[in-house]
Amino acid sequence: MADSVVMGSGSLNSGSRSGSSKTSTSPTDNYQLARRRTLQVVVSSLLTECGFESAEKAAMETLTEMMQSYYRTNMFHYITEVGRCAKATCEHTARSTPTLSDVVITLVEMGFNVDTLPVYAKRSQRMVITAPPITNASVVPKALIAGQKRTHPTYIPSHFPEFPDPHTYIKTPTFREPVSDYQVVREKAASQRRDVERALTRFMAKTGETESLFKDDISAFPLIAAKPSAIPYLSALLPSELELQTLEETDSSEQDDQTDTENNSSNVSQDDQSADKENVVLPPGGVVPTGKANEENMIDNPYLRPVKKPKVRRKK
Amino acid sequence: MNRKKDKGFESPRPYKLTHQVVCINNIKSFFRDKSVIGYVELTIFPTVMNLNRIKLEASSARIYRVRVNDLEGLHSFTNDPTLEVCHHESKQRNLNYFSSAYTAAVSAVDPDAGNGELSIKVPSELWKQGDEMKVMKVYIEFSLDQPKGGLHFVVPDVDGSMAERAAHVFSFGNQNSTRFWFPCVDSYSELCTWKLEFTVDASMVAVSCGDLVETVYTHDMRKKTFHYMLPIPTAAPNISLAVGPFEILVDPYMHEVTHFCLPQLLPLLKQTMSYLHEIFEFYEEILTCRYPYSCFKTVFVDEAYVQVSSYASMSIFSTNLLHSGMIIDQTPVTRRCLAQALAQQFFGCFISRMSWSDEWVLKGISGYIYGLYLKKTFGVNEYRHWIKEELDKIVEYELKMGGVLLHPTFSGGKEKDNPTPHLHFSIRHPHTLSWEYYKMFQCKAHLVMRLIENRISMEFMLQVFNKLLSLASTASSQKYQSHMWSQMLVSTSGFLKSISNVSGKDIGPLIKQWVDQSGVVKFFGSFAFNRKRNVLELEIRQDYTSSGTQKYVGPIKVTVQELDGSFNHTLQIEENSLKHDIPCHSKSRRNKKKKIPLMNGEEVDMDLSAMDADSPLLWIRIDPDMSILRKVEFEQADFMWQYQLRFERDVVAQEEAISALEIFPTPASRLALTDILEQDQCFYKVRIQACFCLAKIANSMMSTWTGPPAMKSLFTRMFCCKSCPNIVKTNNFINFQSYFLQKTMPVAMALLRDVQNLCPKEVLNFILDLIKYNDNRKNKFSDNYYRAELIDALTNSLTPAISINNEVRTVDNLNTDVRLILEEITRFLNMEKLLPSYRNTITVSCLRAIRMLQKNGHIPSDPSLFKSYAQYGHFVDVRIAALEAVIDYTRVDRSSSELQWLLDLVQNDPVHYIRHEILSMLAKNPPFTKAADSLLCNEALVDQLWKLMNSGTCHDWRLRCDAVNLYYTLFGLTRPSCLPLPELGLVLNLKEKKAVLNPTIKSEQGPGGPEVTTTMAFTSTLEEEHVVMEPALSGVAMAPQGLKRKAETPLGSSPEPGQVMQEEPSAKASVKSKFPTQEEEDIDMDTVHDSQAFIYHHLNMLERPSTPGKEPSSVEQAMLSMPGTPMPTLSKESTSSKHGDHHHHHHHHEHKKKKKKHKHKHKHKHKHESKDKDRDSHAFSNSPASGRSIRSPSLSD
Repeated sequence: MADSVVMGSGSLNSGSRSGSSKTSTSPTDNYQLARRRTLQVVVSSLLTECGFESAEKAAMETLTEMMQSYYRTNMFHYITEVGRCAKATCEHTARSTPTLSDVVITLVEMGFNVDTLPVYAKRSQRMVITAPPITNASVVPKALIAGQKRTHPTYIPSHFPEFPDPHTYIKTPTFREPVSDYQVVREKAASQRRDVERALTRFMAKTGETESLFKDDISAFPLIAAKPSAIPYLSALLPSELELQTLEETDSSEQDDQTDTENNSSNVSQDDQSADKENVVLPPGGVVPTGKANEENMIDNPYLRPVKKPKVRRKK
Repeated sequence: MNRKKDKGFESPRPYKLTHQVVCINNIKSFFRDKSVIGYVELTIFPTVMNLNRIKLEASSARIYRVRVNDLEGLHSFTNDPTLEVCHHESKQRNLNYFSSAYTAAVSAVDPDAGNGELSIKVPSELWKQGDEMKVMKVYIEFSLDQPKGGLHFVVPDVDGSMAERAAHVFSFGNQNSTRFWFPCVDSYSELCTWKLEFTVDASMVAVSCGDLVETVYTHDMRKKTFHYMLPIPTAAPNISLAVGPFEILVDPYMHEVTHFCLPQLLPLLKQTMSYLHEIFEFYEEILTCRYPYSCFKTVFVDEAYVQVSSYASMSIFSTNLLHSGMIIDQTPVTRRCLAQALAQQFFGCFISRMSWSDEWVLKGISGYIYGLYLKKTFGVNEYRHWIKEELDKIVEYELKMGGVLLHPTFSGGKEKDNPTPHLHFSIRHPHTLSWEYYKMFQCKAHLVMRLIENRISMEFMLQVFNKLLSLASTASSQKYQSHMWSQMLVSTSGFLKSISNVSGKDIGPLIKQWVDQSGVVKFFGSFAFNRKRNVLELEIRQDYTSSGTQKYVGPIKVTVQELDGSFNHTLQIEENSLKHDIPCHSKSRRNKKKKIPLMNGEEVDMDLSAMDADSPLLWIRIDPDMSILRKVEFEQADFMWQYQLRFERDVVAQEEAISALEIFPTPASRLALTDILEQDQCFYKVRIQACFCLAKIANSMMSTWTGPPAMKSLFTRMFCCKSCPNIVKTNNFINFQSYFLQKTMPVAMALLRDVQNLCPKEVLNFILDLIKYNDNRKNKFSDNYYRAELIDALTNSLTPAISINNEVRTVDNLNTDVRLILEEITRFLNMEKLLPSYRNTITVSCLRAIRMLQKNGHIPSDPSLFKSYAQYGHFVDVRIAALEAVIDYTRVDRSSSELQWLLDLVQNDPVHYIRHEILSMLAKNPPFTKAADSLLCNEALVDQLWKLMNSGTCHDWRLRCDAVNLYYTLFGLTRPSCLPLPELGLVLNLKEKKAVLNPTIKSEQGPGGPEVTTTMAFTSTLEEEHVVMEPALSGVAMAPQGLKRKAETPLGSSPEPGQVMQEEPSAKASVKSKFPTQEEEDIDMDTVHDSQAFIYHHLNMLERPSTPGKEPSSVEQAMLSMPGTPMPTLSKESTSSKHGDHHHHHHHHEHKKKKKKHKHKHKHKHKHESKDKDRDSHAFSNSPASGRSIRSPSLSD
């Protein structure tokens, strides 16, 4: 809001340049300073227009303060009040951005003769104040533009926000040539895996108990401490999830392998995956006759029989 | 042999058991208290008048009540002598004494002799009834409270109910050990039918022998009772039980077969059991006999006592045999175990044995038919390889330890008739056998069965088995006619009779040679070709004097491959004929471009340029069919071995050729081995062996080796990418042969060494690259074994670090190569925590690698890491590997605290297998031996071990025998040298010993094996040493005389009692004269013990390895050449430096001082070798032994 005022008034700044370079403390401070400087430029240009050749610093400060300060004092705080009221007016009409008419209404309400404004603007001795250097603009991170933004279809009014970048909701095209050199791929895969493993194990070693091979330097070659488990055979015998995953992936190729040994394991067709999941359940290696499945229900095995209820006391 | 089969089996008991009820209804929680309450009821028929006493076996059970036919009976325990073999007051510490006492104790409760520790007095009211031979019912209520043997409880320490915790219990034992969990007649020869009832928690399943009749809830519905009936007469040792929250799998092919495993393992069980039906079919087909029981159950349990144990209609396996479909290496191993178990169902469970000496028949037959299964499933190559492996094993064992006797006969039952005097244990009972011996016994038994098959043909062999089985199954269907049931027992004589009935052949000589006699045959062969006569002059010699050998007389087959073909000749080995002339068929003139016919009819082209132009012989093989239990050392030229390797189609011949080629490091050998390696038709185990041989040859040819390191280019060609040869292909193990080769080649390559005796950099980098580029994502098999072997390869590449001034190992001075290796190992070991591999193979390899790094001085030697991995709660393979490392550390660093830690584990670890393994690994890699002195060897250790075998291991026969074995390894048969002499007066001593020591002396003096005689020879040298010292010090002139005379004593003879008298102190001599000869020997022994202790220090002073068996003569030489003079010199020195750290009571004070001195020196040498070297050499400079002491390297590795 303050910006709009600054832009509206426009000013030339001479003394402020030097200040801008060295003041770079925090963004809010920066903003306050820049605003104040711009106001000073405005005040001094007004004074120049009025014919002053010089002004005391204290007077300058007071005038600037009058222009900008808030309700702090009873002083006339002109621009701030204009902005505040304009915003109120605009919000009253359920909008968020004040328009020119809001400002005009505000000015009218404040008892300002709006009609004098164009005349004042066209005065002869008007000094043109150049826009302050937009240092803040570069600070605002530029949104990554990837791909062509889609234009609005005809049924969407143009004031509606633009579509976001297509990569955020359609796809992310990459323009890097994929590395196809086998050796490099293998090399990369190997070192990547090794790095991951090393990082992971180091992390685990750092966060948990460790054992060391060296007494002098415990941090060198840390070994994750061996922890006994209550049922050690489970982890030792059951295939890990990673292995199961691999098995599932390669399982589809298993069928190919048996029929066609030429192209084994290289062609993993994703489509078959779901169909082959049944095969995991069945014991691989031997194919159970299809009739067996029906017989399964008729198996007479004493361990499958229901447990009997005690009817009479059986034992003496 | 000594019993006629027609007479049938005579029970040693005055009654016959017909039926037994076992009911275990644990009112208290089975698992929480680990206690069992139940009763048994035995139905017996008295076979004598006035049966008043019934003896049963019921070790460790608490008996509440005994009733006979509803009348209260009296019972008493005949104080089980096996609980404590020797009374603990006894100061005896020699193994001879223990062994005989132990044998006596086991005999006292031997059910085969009608003995037993539970004795029941039959109420007198029933005596009369005994006359009428009425049936008697003996009812016994008993309980077991936390049994140490018999039943093993596995209760994981996690939250949840017992079923959720996968708590389970199963019966176990070595041989007949059923007495540990219920009172019974614990004999393989007492058969009866069974009714078994087990009440367990509703979430549990009780699996036992026989048919499950029904399962009934208890009234509160919280428990179930499993009712089993076993209508086939079965011996008590074949009864078992397993209770746990098992997952149940009914075999999809055979519905009467049920498999049980622990929770969550069902997918593995399905995979593992998918081929069991094939084994069933195979056995039923070859035996033409149906599986004898109506059902079969397999149970997989954790912490199993042995991998496989077979009981009537069920088998208990270790859960670690289960595997998923991705595992390659475990699959054949598990299949073998299943096949073994099933073979034992027929012979061992269904058919039982009459007595312990008939055990070999059962083990032999089951092992033999298991071999047939191997042949059918895994192929002839695998079978022949296995036979060779087993043959090599038994030959090695017998040559090292002395003979293995399959069928011991104990005539008259006298204790002193020991058929195997060379062993430190008795073979009278299965419970006194060392485990190793029993394994070898089984191995020999099946090899002998194969010899019988060779003799009578397989067809007849199978007919014999069929006959045994069909007789037994007829007998088994007879009800209560118990005299028929003895048909189900096999005896040696019955078996031999069947053979002669079926085949009509006399196999008497064969049986006599291999079954009634122990030992193997050792042949040495060499040949010459007589060009004029065109005759091959073959010379076959035998060594039948050394330990474990026997003389062979009979036919032997020799195969000669000539240019014109392969010819078999059968030679007769006779008493005195060493040379055999074999006419050659081919003229030495070679026909150009003619193919050479092989044994199998194949004709091949050979490059004959390598061979001797005059001789038509390509290669010669002695006993190619392995029809003698023998070791053959045959000499033929290197090119002949190479031809044999390349062109002989028998895998055994190829393997023999490979091991022979190790001593011919020539380019031709290299080529032959490389060719074999590349040939994919060749049996993969041969190729694997070729890898290692090639590595050895390459090391011997180091200076002349050209080209890349051995096998590298081959590996690259076979397993690496075509475009980038330094990168290995992504894993694809679909071809198992190449998988095994891919696994082995890096391991063998890592054994290569360059001129600096280091592993070549190129090889190390190559292995590191293999690890780096290993990619298993596209593989349907697990690569855990492959990765583990790559770590093994890294381990193999390690060489001792160059140590500078014994500096402490730090991270900074780590060798760069070692740093790389260590990084890989750390990463692997850490990754294993996150993604454990199957059976934790990678952890196992990493632990071995770390120990190797420590041992080679790259990283500080420290057992704490291994100790943490050895804890209870790690996977058993990991624990074993860790324990192995600790044991190795104990030996190298002579750490008494680690030894103590290990022994504590032996006493306290919950897993029986671990306890057993610790002791047997300690015996294999002992911290010290009887021949060497060690600080570890002290009185406390002796006492601890003694206690362990005396009473600490009474619940586990196997463990006790392991302890005996270890004791033997550490201290030998006689009193340990570190013990003080008995301080008591001599007379008292004699009194105490008179009763106990005599048998031991006898056995040593008896017609013992060579090992005993050498020990004896050694003792005689000891004595002479001791005797010489004294006069030397006191300056008596007779010393050299005594020395000379004693030294002349022949090696084999024991010291004569009379000889000692002169040299003995006069006090002793005077006492001695009052006693007859026997007592004199006792004194003699004392002196021997005492001086033995003394001599060890002297031997160490000489820095000799001093193995008494091997080098007594050289020691003697050293002694002879050493005059009395150096000793006074030494004693002078010793007075200045006194060290009172070692307490050793001794009669002679001068000796004591001297000994301390030597001990001290010895210690120093190990610690500050470099410093003390000069002083040492100076001190010994006037001794002829001095040169030796300097030259000998320090033992500290």
